[in-house]
This record gives sequence, C-alpha cells and structure tokens, in this order.
Amino acid sequence: MVAKLTVEGLTHRYPDEYTGESVHALDNINLEIQDGEFIAVVGPSGCGKSTLLNILAGLLPHREGVVKVDGTPVSGPGPDRGVVFQEHAILPWRTVARNIGHGLELQGMPKAQRRKRVTDFIEMVGLSGFEDKYPHELSGGMKQRCAVARTLCADPVVMLMDEPFAAVDAQTRITLQEELNRIAMATKKTILFITHAVDEAAFLADRCIVFSRRPGRIKAVVNIDIPREERVWATLVSDARFTTARDRILGLVREEVGEDEE
Amino acid sequence: MGGREGERAGPEPNMRTRDGRKVLTARDLLGVPVINLVLVIVCLIAVWSVISATIENPDRYLPSPLAVAISSIDMIEKGVLPSYFGDTLIRLVIGSIIGLAVGIPFGLLLGINRTVSDIFYPIMNFFQSVSGIAIFPIIVIWWGNSDQTVLAVIVYTSFFPIAFSVLSGVREVPMQYLNAVRTMGASRYRIIRDVLIPGALPHIATGARLSIGFAWRAVIAGEMLAGREGLGWMIFTGQDADLTAQVILGMIMIGVTWIVLDHYLLRPFEADTIERWGLIQR
Repeated sequence: MVAKLTVEGLTHRYPDEYTGESVHALDNINLEIQDGEFIAVVGPSGCGKSTLLNILAGLLPHREGVVKVDGTPVSGPGPDRGVVFQEHAILPWRTVARNIGHGLELQGMPKAQRRKRVTDFIEMVGLSGFEDKYPHELSGGMKQRCAVARTLCADPVVMLMDEPFAAVDAQTRITLQEELNRIAMATKKTILFITHAVDEAAFLADRCIVFSRRPGRIKAVVNIDIPREERVWATLVSDARFTTARDRILGLVREEVGEDEE
Repeated sequence: MGGREGERAGPEPNMRTRDGRKVLTARDLLGVPVINLVLVIVCLIAVWSVISATIENPDRYLPSPLAVAISSIDMIEKGVLPSYFGDTLIRLVIGSIIGLAVGIPFGLLLGINRTVSDIFYPIMNFFQSVSGIAIFPIIVIWWGNSDQTVLAVIVYTSFFPIAFSVLSGVREVPMQYLNAVRTMGASRYRIIRDVLIPGALPHIATGARLSIGFAWRAVIAGEMLAGREGLGWMIFTGQDADLTAQVILGMIMIGVTWIVLDHYLLRPFEADTIERWGLIQR
C-alpha cells in the first residue's frame, strides 16, 4: 500500500539573506505518513518544522531528497496538499462562504453544487449564521475555523497545518483542538500538524515527531495510542497514556532547547 | 461542534443607531455634519462679502458674492455656462477613462512581472517628472490647438498616478494570500483576479482619485493654453477681459464639481469595496 506522504533523504540548505552563509535547515529527513494518520511535528524554534511544511506544500523548492504524495513527486503547490497557515490567510474581500468555497471554485465546480458542500462545512466548523460576514468581522478563532473549513472543503489528499492555533487565545485554542479532533474523526483526513505546544501535539496526534535543533533531524517518534473518541481535555489531563506521552515529548524537546541555554 | 453565539462582530461604519436601529443621517449623505458645513459656507461668504465691500474697485479685484451670482445667472440664461461646463466635463470623463484604462493594466503588468518592471520603471519615472504642462508644447506641435491636444494632455497626466498606485498596490499584497490560493491550485489568471486585483484595490482607489484630480487640473490648463471652450477657457478669458466675476464663477464651479464627483462617484466605490472588506477605517 502506497503511503499517503513519503519523504526520503530530504536535506535543505539555503543562503542566509544577511550574511550569505549557507543555513542548513533540514538534514536527511525520512518519514512516511499513512492514510488517515494525524502526525504532529514539534521541536525547538528554528529547527526547520515550517521549512519542512513549506517544502511538502510545494511553496519551497527542494533539491536534495524525494517528496511524494500518493506516490507522485511534489514539484509545486497544488490542491492535493491543502494548507492551513498560522495567519489564516483567508481573503478579506470574500465572505466566509465564498472563502470556504474558493477551492471548489478553482476546481471548476458549478455554483449550485458548491453551495451544498460549502454549507456542510460551514456547519461542521460552527460558523452557521456567519456565511455572509467578511473576515474583518470575525474573531481570531472564527477566522481559523474558516481557514480549516476552506482547506477541508477543497478535499485535499493531505492537510498540512502550520501552527494554526498559535495566534489564538488559550481558551479558544483548547476548543479548536477538540473541534479539530472531531473533524479528524469524521473526515479521516491525513493530517500533518506543526506546533510548538507539546500538549497540543500529544492531544491531537497519533504519532508525534520530535525534531532536533538546527539542522533539523528527526530525533524521535512518540506513539500516542489513545482512540480519537477518548480525546477530550476534561478526561485526558489525568489519563496516564496522555501524560506519559506528553512528558516524554517534552523531555525530548527540552534536551534540544537545553543545549542552547548552556 | 458547538456554534458560538455572540462572538465578536465588528461595528458597521457610518451608521448612527437610535434605539438600536440603524439610521441614515445627513452626515452620511454629505460626509460631514450638515450644520457644520452650512456654518462654514455661511462664514466664508460673509468674510468674502466684507472684504469685497471694503476694498477699492471690487468689480476688478474681488466682486461680491452677489455680483458673481448675477453673472452666473446671466451666463446660464445665455446658455453659455451649461455649454462650457458640458465641454469640460466630457473632456475630463473621456480623458480620465482612457488614462485609467491604460494605466491600470500597465501598473498590473509591472507589478506582476519583475523583468518588465525593471525595464519600464525608469522610463515611467522619467516621463512622470515631465509634467502635464511641460508635455503640452510638444503635443501642440503635433496636433495644434485642438480638442485632441487637450485630451492627450489629460490622458498623459492621469496615467501616472494610477499606474504607480496599481504597481505598488500589487507589490504590497501579502505573500500569504498568494500562497493560500496557490495551494488551492489557482492558475496565474486566477491569482491576478482573485488576489492581486482585490488586494491592490485600496491603492487603486487612491490612485484613481489622484488621477482624476490631476485630470481636472490638466483639462483646465489645457483649455487655457489651447484656447478650447470650456470652464478653463472661461477663467482665462475672464481674466483677459477683466471679467473677474467670471473668473471666480469658474473657480467655484470647478471646486464644487470636484467635490460632487468625489463624493458621489469615488466614495461609494470605496465604500462598496475596501470599506466593506475592512481594509480601511473611516
């Protein structure tokens, strides 16, 4: 069975804007993500997590290594890899409904067909009643919901999420995490989720990949064997399966950060 | 998934509320509170009348508001004023439209394509400084003192503000929006249509305003220099024939027309697009 997402020997270097020196961002990344898996990537700042995501999304060209989605090599951005950015990036000049339907519009789906599908996703993310609002009228959490709906509605093969909840307040963040978990359960989408927050990673992921500091290497992979249905913050905080995994990931990340603070 | 009631929705701009209902006030129709505007105008006329009454030979230097009013009635009755006004307006509209129609695509092209921009930007910069009036003589050499000449000057003058505005507007669209649609499989055309043009709209609106403002000045100056009948010509010949009331009347008409154009044409355009999208604050 072909893995949904394959990365082989991915190494990435780029010249620093200011000093001209070569920055070694990623070093020999190898990873395989199966259909329906929820993978989190954590690591210290500057470890190359976002670089990895941008390469997978096709927004950054790669020279060394192989990146494949459904067996096809990646060579640029495309609708098979949907992205949710940290700064939402929903278009301010489109209403919520038109933003969410944008991917389908670009794929050429006729309006009547689109409408039904868009409405389903509006309901899924809890934005009913806000279809005709413009982004500037929404709160941060709502904008991110809109962004998630937009990406999902276009039905990508893989959903890539770059610290999507980082710019949102703590309360909303918790709610969005639980909502994303429910969405993952319902859609069974293959998801790659980048985050700084270790508990967020442990809460959401089936497997958590821990990056070393720059140059980014895969330091460890932690499995989190908790069924999706049981992932609710109220009960999970005291669940040993969760806390063990979380503490282990935290320890690994701290090791990497600790070396900088010597 | 629980929908949230009461999550923040932004306040609607420009609407007063009375008992929670939205009410359209005079402020919305004129852009400023009516009473303020009326007071200012009354004061201006008052000051004007006083100065006019106290100076020597007011008919030459500063005719009273009454004299100007009488002059305008006279000219309307003769059908002269409407005719001049119409001529000027037509030149302005045609010239501006051509200027915008050429300037917007040009600015877009330069904003999108680095190579084209590297070639044309210095050339544009060069010609921009050779202002509307400085270009006038060469155009007269080509086309004489004709309507064509005046139109050419208007197009030339209104081209630059809009082209530069569109250029910088396109360049300033945040990369994130472009990336977002690229990851949804947008074609080049779609990127331009769905992201670059709407994203550049605040700049385009400013540029259009500047353009039409410049076009106004060009049409007046062009008429004066080429001797074509219109408001500009009216001001110029008024000065020549010592008809100061005519000069002042022309000035007032130009100013008022511009305010009306700006308020009833450009402002609604802005309100319907960039204000509605929350890209500017009023």
